[in-house]
Amino acid sequence: MRVVSTAVPHRKITHTLRSLLYSQRFAPFLFVWPFIVTFLLFFAYPAVNTVVMSFQLVLPGDVRFIGFENYHKLWNAQFRQALIVSTKYTFWTLLVLIPVPLVLAVFLNSKLVLARNFFRSVLFVPALTSVVVAGVIFRLIFGEVEGSVMNTIVGWFGIPAQKWLFHSETGMLVLVLLASWRWMGINIVYFLSALQNIPKELYESAEIDGAGVFDKFWKITLPLLKPITIYVLTISIYGGFAMFTESYVFWTNNSPGDIGLTIVGYLYKQGFEFFELGYGSAIGITLLALILAINIVQLKFFGLFRKES
Amino acid sequence: MGKQPKVLAVLLSAMTLMLGACTGGTANPATVDNASGKAVADANNSDAEPSTDAPKPAAPTKLALWTFQEVHAKYYNGMAESWNAANPNKPIELEVTTLPDADMHSKLLISLQSGVGAPDLSDIEISKFPNFLRGDIPLAELNDVIDPVKDNIVQARVDMYAKDGKYYGVDFHVGASVMYYNKEILDQAGVNADDIVTWADFVEAGKTVLAKTGKPMTAVETIGEWQFWQMISQQGSDFLDADGNVILDNEINVKTVDFLKQMIKDEVAVIAPGGKYHTEDFYGFMNGGGAAAIAMPMWFMGRFTDYMPDLSGKMIIRPLPSWEPGGNRSAGMGGTGTAVIKSSPNAELAKEFLAYTKLSKEGNIEIWKQLGFDPIRKDVWELPELKEENKFTAYFGTNLFDTLMEVKDEIHTVNIKDKTPQINAAVKTIALFQAIQEGKDTLTTLKTVADVIRK
Amino acid sequence: MSTRSRWATCLFLFFFVSLSIIVLYPLVGLLLASFKPATELLRNGLSLKLQTELFTLNNYSYLFSDAGRKYFFWYRNSLVITSLFTLLSLLLSAMVGYGLAIYQFKGKNILFVLVLVVMMIPVEIIILPLYKLTISLQLINNYWGVILPFVVAPLPIFFFRQFASSLPKDYLDAGRVDGCTELGIFFRLMMPLMLPAFGAMAILQALHSWNNFLWPLIVLRTDDMLTLPIGLASMITPYGNNYDMLLSGAVLSIVPIVVLFAAFQRFFISGLTAGGVKG
Repeated sequence: MRVVSTAVPHRKITHTLRSLLYSQRFAPFLFVWPFIVTFLLFFAYPAVNTVVMSFQLVLPGDVRFIGFENYHKLWNAQFRQALIVSTKYTFWTLLVLIPVPLVLAVFLNSKLVLARNFFRSVLFVPALTSVVVAGVIFRLIFGEVEGSVMNTIVGWFGIPAQKWLFHSETGMLVLVLLASWRWMGINIVYFLSALQNIPKELYESAEIDGAGVFDKFWKITLPLLKPITIYVLTISIYGGFAMFTESYVFWTNNSPGDIGLTIVGYLYKQGFEFFELGYGSAIGITLLALILAINIVQLKFFGLFRKES
Repeated sequence: MGKQPKVLAVLLSAMTLMLGACTGGTANPATVDNASGKAVADANNSDAEPSTDAPKPAAPTKLALWTFQEVHAKYYNGMAESWNAANPNKPIELEVTTLPDADMHSKLLISLQSGVGAPDLSDIEISKFPNFLRGDIPLAELNDVIDPVKDNIVQARVDMYAKDGKYYGVDFHVGASVMYYNKEILDQAGVNADDIVTWADFVEAGKTVLAKTGKPMTAVETIGEWQFWQMISQQGSDFLDADGNVILDNEINVKTVDFLKQMIKDEVAVIAPGGKYHTEDFYGFMNGGGAAAIAMPMWFMGRFTDYMPDLSGKMIIRPLPSWEPGGNRSAGMGGTGTAVIKSSPNAELAKEFLAYTKLSKEGNIEIWKQLGFDPIRKDVWELPELKEENKFTAYFGTNLFDTLMEVKDEIHTVNIKDKTPQINAAVKTIALFQAIQEGKDTLTTLKTVADVIRK
Repeated sequence: MSTRSRWATCLFLFFFVSLSIIVLYPLVGLLLASFKPATELLRNGLSLKLQTELFTLNNYSYLFSDAGRKYFFWYRNSLVITSLFTLLSLLLSAMVGYGLAIYQFKGKNILFVLVLVVMMIPVEIIILPLYKLTISLQLINNYWGVILPFVVAPLPIFFFRQFASSLPKDYLDAGRVDGCTELGIFFRLMMPLMLPAFGAMAILQALHSWNNFLWPLIVLRTDDMLTLPIGLASMITPYGNNYDMLLSGAVLSIVPIVVLFAAFQRFFISGLTAGGVKG
């Protein structure tokens, strides 16, 4: 250890430190550094790397630039299938997971519902399970044999036993049901939190004006839920296109006829199973472009950039 | 603010204390990270500590081995013990890690590329092996241990793991395909398995079985590749040709898929429950006498003994039907190539151990006894040890190797090339499923799949 | 109460009771299934019938046998990773969110936009280079490799920022007058005010970490280092006889997170309601 520092610079250092700690100009950086550090290290750097790799052929001990070849290769039947599955999945999850939780949240915010808190918790419980656990249960419920839960139930309606995970329509149905089951509670909570911020007076004055239940819902509740709806929409689009685990637990990423192949599943397959890191990166960049495009359009359309505060 | 759970209050005040509140704020979490991070790292490296168990004469060399099969792990551990008994001067301490199939291969690939965390030896599944033979090959050449025994082994089973004349892996087994017949069902239908010579005979017998017992003759895999692969291999076809070009959509392959489809149409076959033979659904179906026969390699015996106990004593093994009289009656399917990692500091010792487990006579005998695989050394096939009773002879009857001797010259080499991982995955997840289960046109389906891989 | 609203109350009650039954059924089914022989289940599917005659405790006793030992390694790993991740993530994200809300500084808006960008971009896209980075940082098969890349999470930052924006600013000046550093003000004065936000985020972050799949799947390699979801998923393979542990293991894996939820539950929704502090 070097003991060179005399008292004066030492005091100087302590002084600078102290003044830094008290400085209001420097203070923000005391708080935001974790984000800056992790952003640069764990996000920006890999992101740039992904872009670079997407133009490379990456083999052990042999990395070379190959121009747009990876992107050129992308236009094939399998990638198109992945695009279709991810898009369908996103579409259906949006269709279920925005209106239904919204309405349920409105119900659960109403004094007419007894034991509201109890039901709120119950509907949230599925969110506590991991996709893996949920996947195991759903696989059992949607078993392909005659006696499985779902086949028994559809049997009551005269529908023959289905091989649920072996057809693209039923496979998609099970995926969407799994997602709905797990995410419903979370979205309800988001909507509930927004509902509780709506001033009661608004409703009261509307009632004085003679507004009915539906008037109040359309004219007050819905417009005021817009910010949270946009937020839920944004993360749902993201979640839909980034879906991988659900498909992994049902089919270990090898679904029959690629009925459950998602974009991320394709990326995982190429990157980690075939070690086509360059090609995998090109898939990633394409996915990124896709999500950004959709979200920018969506945000422009609904206008989050007009700021909440 | 309402009531707050005590837990949270305690937790947060602990955090506040930890961070020194008003007195500073220099104690940043990073220091906490480092301290416990080290503790974690130490815990991970516990294998670096000397073993406190009974002292051993010579310090054993640590060898790490990865596999994706529980039974392989058991086998290696047993062989490590007998290696130590036989080689007291160079004992080893084998640490076998079993990981799920897909994970193990991807983790191995990446650790090899990054040079961090790879084991000394690893099992690599045949359809993934070419992934490891690209660029700078990270596996050790095995020519010096294979060449001395070259004449005694089935050449094809090391050729699959070779590139440019250098060997990088050794297989457990020949993987000779056979037909597993449920004799009970055949007897009920009055069919004699030995009368089935060609696939046409097989279908005719199937019609009899269906008529007499109402049961299908066999089950068709739609998301597994073995059944189809062995049937085309019998005819000299493959997914890739010897130069690695995609030939999935050739005439023989289309014809063979159509043959499978026709069997389903004739109700001689059903689609395998679960889509392939390696599923609980199928084990349950077969175990309950669901079908009269399935064609699979010899290594599938273990699945029968482990998962289909009710068929014990009812199953018999015969050569595959040929496509025409005198045609090939078997195929060499599947495989696990064990490789030594080039960068391992103990690569030489690892090679010796590998040779001991998979190339030596003792090793090959144990492979049969413990795993029920048809070992790659031809000179052990007729040894008395292979006639001894074990759980496989108890299940399938004795003289299992007579069948193997009968067909040993009727096995084509399969072409394992750069595109094998992609084409195998495509065959087993897309091509067969779409053509057979979804009933799409065979040629179009195979061509579409082949074109994606060709690109 | 009018007759109409009484009717509505009854209807709602009926509706939510039925909905709850449907929503809870899969979990009840899992619990029941964990008492049935696993191989039977995988062969014959889960039946709607109770089949009490099949009930057995074997799946659980298997967990506590030698073969089940690795399960408790996974459990430990999951507990450690989740605790570390949640604590650090809450602390760091709260700091960042607070910093973004309270202070005016150059680049503040850029930073906030970056937070939103990270929130909107799936990590899966950068996962290949991130993995290579983790290797060069020697964090492979290590708890920190799982935790660090995602510990400063955009969603809590966003949330804490929104929450902190509504905090009374006069506390700041009071703290400064008392001679506290800016960090001191945060830890001593502001953080207690942000408790409801911590409650909500604690559940979300713990939930995320406990159930996280893709990243730990890639980082963790040896059997004794896996987390519960990865370990359980590794049992879904035709190459082993692990189904017995799968179901009982799945049941026990839900327990800690349910306990956590039960403890923080009252706090959860009110915490997400930023308005809670205003009142």
